[in-house]
Amino acid sequence: MDNLTGWQEISTTRATRSASITRNWLLYVLLIGIAAMMVAPFLWMLITSLSNPSEAYTYPPSLPKQWRFENYGELFDRLPFGTFTFNSLKISILATLGTLFSASLAAYAFARMEFRGKRTLYWIILATMMIPFQVTMIPVFFLLKTLGFYGSHAALIVPHWFGFGMGAFGIFLLRQFFTTVPRELEEAARIDGAGSLRIFWSIMLPTARPALVTLSVLTFMAHWNDLIGPVLYLTDTDQMTLTIGLAALGGGDLIARVDLLMAGALVSLLPILVLFVVAQRFFVQGITATGIKG
Amino acid sequence: MATGGAIVVAFLLGFTEWDLIGSPQWVGLKNYSTMVNSDLFWKVLGNTFWYVLLYVPITIVGSLFLALLVNRKLPAIKLFRTIYFLPVISSMVAVALIWSWLYNPEFGFINWTVETLFGLDGPRWLLSTQWAMPAIAILSAWKVVGYNMVILLAGLQSVPKHLQESALIDGASRWRQFTAVTLPALSPTLFFVLIITLINSFQLFEQTYVLTQGGPANSTLTLSYYSYQNAFQFFRMGYAAAVAYVLFALTFIVTIIQFRLQKRWVFYG
Repeated sequence: MDNLTGWQEISTTRATRSASITRNWLLYVLLIGIAAMMVAPFLWMLITSLSNPSEAYTYPPSLPKQWRFENYGELFDRLPFGTFTFNSLKISILATLGTLFSASLAAYAFARMEFRGKRTLYWIILATMMIPFQVTMIPVFFLLKTLGFYGSHAALIVPHWFGFGMGAFGIFLLRQFFTTVPRELEEAARIDGAGSLRIFWSIMLPTARPALVTLSVLTFMAHWNDLIGPVLYLTDTDQMTLTIGLAALGGGDLIARVDLLMAGALVSLLPILVLFVVAQRFFVQGITATGIKG
Repeated sequence: MATGGAIVVAFLLGFTEWDLIGSPQWVGLKNYSTMVNSDLFWKVLGNTFWYVLLYVPITIVGSLFLALLVNRKLPAIKLFRTIYFLPVISSMVAVALIWSWLYNPEFGFINWTVETLFGLDGPRWLLSTQWAMPAIAILSAWKVVGYNMVILLAGLQSVPKHLQESALIDGASRWRQFTAVTLPALSPTLFFVLIITLINSFQLFEQTYVLTQGGPANSTLTLSYYSYQNAFQFFRMGYAAAVAYVLFALTFIVTIIQFRLQKRWVFYG
């Protein structure tokens, strides 16, 4: 009898194990199927970007007989793609630095200083994150135009040094970090004669390093991918960023050259992809930070 | 703070006529009366809701499915999460251009797939008044599901394990465990995801700008793009500000309704 139950037990564990393998096998089919749906558009972009234009426009879609790497050369020769890339980099980096500057100072004030209406102000700033951009679009446009920023990169950089755009999110993210710094640390520094700015620079900022990296990565991505800003404020072709340049070429010069258009799309995706591979952790942390608190 | 000021200014602008060059002329409610008497405005409003109706359910169901799928310990599961996240980091411009090529009715990858799998002639997608909006909703959902997945996954991982296990010990089926334990515990996160997805859906802009400019025959013209068009193509700043306020009010009302409804299904433990 004992033997029998023992055998039955073994057989059930075997059955469950093999059932779990089958179930996982099905799971993997599902996982891979969805992965294919996520990757296929990018893969097709890559394939088309290496095709001969006449091959691209054929039905049924097929792999090119010969990979045309010259497409990328042509893209940079014929069109100001180098300039677009440079402009995107310049704006994204300078605007990100601006957000880091303004958000970290404001977050420090909200975390450590006492002033009237602090809570109300903090909630107003958070609430602005929920406002559709269309509502503020016209007044902000008029303001920046009056300041003489229309038609220059300044319109896409300077406001971020004053907390526009990602500023509210940055304040929210960094304030959380700053409030965790032990007050004793700060008091000790004050006794040693350090002022507020010194404390901010040598105690607060180093503690918040992970949050600062998260904010930089997300802000850089937001600017790199931004379309509405360049659409509203940039006027000349040689000022254009990759996003607006691509959008313009898609309906213009490249309307019959999907191979070059896909090459352009790939070039515009590459830097952010590299950043993602290097700093994946920080992308996910930034997103879950908003999610959990929300 | 400047944003707060801009909100007030935009509200006031809604009662003016202004071409950006001269000074704004006060016209009272004229912009709003023009709006309600315009057939195009009602079409645009209908399009906006049509898009919300298409985009929000696909996105919520899709991202919940993905989150549940990747919420387990399996070899290489991190790789799959990363892959599902790739569209999130990509610019909408690049994504829209890639999809417009996939949607190409003559040479596109999608219609080729439709024909190969089902032997059907695919629709003309972005060139068709009937299919352009679903096409935009599909590519937008594809781009965003990975984002919601990450948030929902964080929510799922904070569901107390002992609750799920005790449900199983009590003989609950997998489905019952999901509906009675997992879903209620996840509901605050799901609610958050629903709110941001809704707010997002009302702001549809980049896809329209790159792909259709509101066409064909205004079939993809939504409030957000309509406001932009009036402001920066027709220079009717006052009217555009009024439209933007309608968009704002709608977003606000829908969000409030959701907050009211949450009492019925969201559990804060």
